Amino acid sequence: MQEQRVEILYNEPVSSRYFRLGLKWKTSVIVPGHFVMLRVSDGLDPLLRRPFGVYKVLNAKGRDKLKGDGIELIYQVVGKGTGILSGKTPGEVLSVLGPLGNGFPVPHPSQDIVMIAGGMGIVPLYLFASTIKRGSLLFGARGKAQTLVAKDFKALGLKVRFATEDGSLGHKGYVTDLLSGAITPGTIVYACGPAPMLKKAAEICAKEGAQCYVSLERAMACGIGVCLGCAVKASAHNERENKNYVMVCSDGPVFESALIDWDRI
Amino acid sequence: MKKTKENPLAIVVAGIRLKNPVMTASGTFGYGSEFMPYTDLSKLGGIVVKGLSLKPRQGNPSPRIVETPCGMLNAIGLQNVGVEAFITDKLPKLKGVDTAVVANIFGETVDEYIEVAKRLDDTEGVSALEINISCPNVKKGGIVFGTDPFEAARVVSAVKKATRLPVITKLSPNVTDIRVMAKAVEDAGTDAVSLINTITGMVIDIEKRRPVLATSTGGLSGPAIRPIAVRMVWQVSQAVRVPIIGMGGIMSAKDALEFIIAGASAVQVGTANFVDPDISVKVVSGIAEYVERHGTTVKDLVGSLTTG
Repeated sequence: MQEQRVEILYNEPVSSRYFRLGLKWKTSVIVPGHFVMLRVSDGLDPLLRRPFGVYKVLNAKGRDKLKGDGIELIYQVVGKGTGILSGKTPGEVLSVLGPLGNGFPVPHPSQDIVMIAGGMGIVPLYLFASTIKRGSLLFGARGKAQTLVAKDFKALGLKVRFATEDGSLGHKGYVTDLLSGAITPGTIVYACGPAPMLKKAAEICAKEGAQCYVSLERAMACGIGVCLGCAVKASAHNERENKNYVMVCSDGPVFESALIDWDRI
Repeated sequence: MKKTKENPLAIVVAGIRLKNPVMTASGTFGYGSEFMPYTDLSKLGGIVVKGLSLKPRQGNPSPRIVETPCGMLNAIGLQNVGVEAFITDKLPKLKGVDTAVVANIFGETVDEYIEVAKRLDDTEGVSALEINISCPNVKKGGIVFGTDPFEAARVVSAVKKATRLPVITKLSPNVTDIRVMAKAVEDAGTDAVSLINTITGMVIDIEKRRPVLATSTGGLSGPAIRPIAVRMVWQVSQAVRVPIIGMGGIMSAKDALEFIIAGASAVQVGTANFVDPDISVKVVSGIAEYVERHGTTVKDLVGSLTTG
């Protein structure tokens, strides 16, 4: 698995600050939940690669493990790196490293599935939903404008419920408000979003006796488990393996929620 | 009779035979085997593994890193598996890799340095020890040894007595005059010096009015620090006789050659490994191309700087 230079197929705004980026890339096997490290320019500033979750595998073949002609990422312009990325045009090349990380575990066929996403946390869950093709999605965002890819989910035929902080779409409040009503003790929950949302989701699942997997995000320099920058405090439960910290890039990014110390996230 | 053509990249540093002058810096290359999927370790002059302590260390709270202009700040806190797990679990994975393996060691006390050095002394597959007296991110040991010439000398002479392996001492740039530190460790018997470790820095989140790193400060690395590192290598090369291993923000062969011309016998590539896991091998190829183009050898390039 070498670092590769791949061609940009498209880089289109979905709304003013969100973009879809298509990369022509004959990938090795991608599992939903995998991420890639992109270098947005060959210059020295920004220096480090940035992690991006995989949203789609283009012309995907396979059931849980996907192979295709390329990948689609969705990103939000938040700083210098993503600002440079948003100015890239089709035909330009980017250096990509990946696919990286562990990915979401496959649920048992009899298990009820609930996916809960906050903001950009929708990205890896969409790829997961499109391979699993069942379950329901709870999607939270600041307002209606941030629920941009919801129509992709609807096209999958999944039941989608929205929560927006400003009440412009669906439930007014946090997406986690919808969770306890959506799960039973046998449910398996997949969560991705901001840390406070994940913490709340983990608490609710623990209380209701549902299994919960979270996909975490952290600043990382390498993506391959060597810089040790993306450390997250592990719960006491995990310490028996002498792991006081887990690395989001190489141990995750998907963790069983009980393995994380949510008080120190 | 025609003499067999020697490898123009080969260099001997403090008795360590390197096939080329490019090594990977401690803390940026794991225990080496992590990079096997991405690069050919046998093409490297050497690899310096993550700093080893007597017992495993869990490291600092998170956030541990933040990107800065042309660099990054880190405060990992010397998280490592400990010397025993290194010997039993990590080192065997490098068996068959044709490169020099240097074990970076540190302790909170002089005794701990001695213990770690002794444990590695009769370990097959380790070519040398690099003493870390300069990590800015741990509360005890580390920086005290790294900024006080008397303490630094005490660690170096103790480690020298505890091992038969060549000893490299890694110097901190966070001092008024790095030549004083270099001379102190030379007098204490170090076989080589490596420099520079990271420069202490800080980034503040102005919205929260809090430091970004959990430990408030961290070590700055990357191309932002390279001119400082080149200057320090040049200064130290005029102050000591022991060989120098230069590092600090090397991203290319051109950067590496600056260090060599300034007086370094070998270089270490650090932060760049995070950006491109194959970059150290690319630095080797670039140096080979330069050496060929100039009809010279690495040995002849070391300290070939003309000033004035």
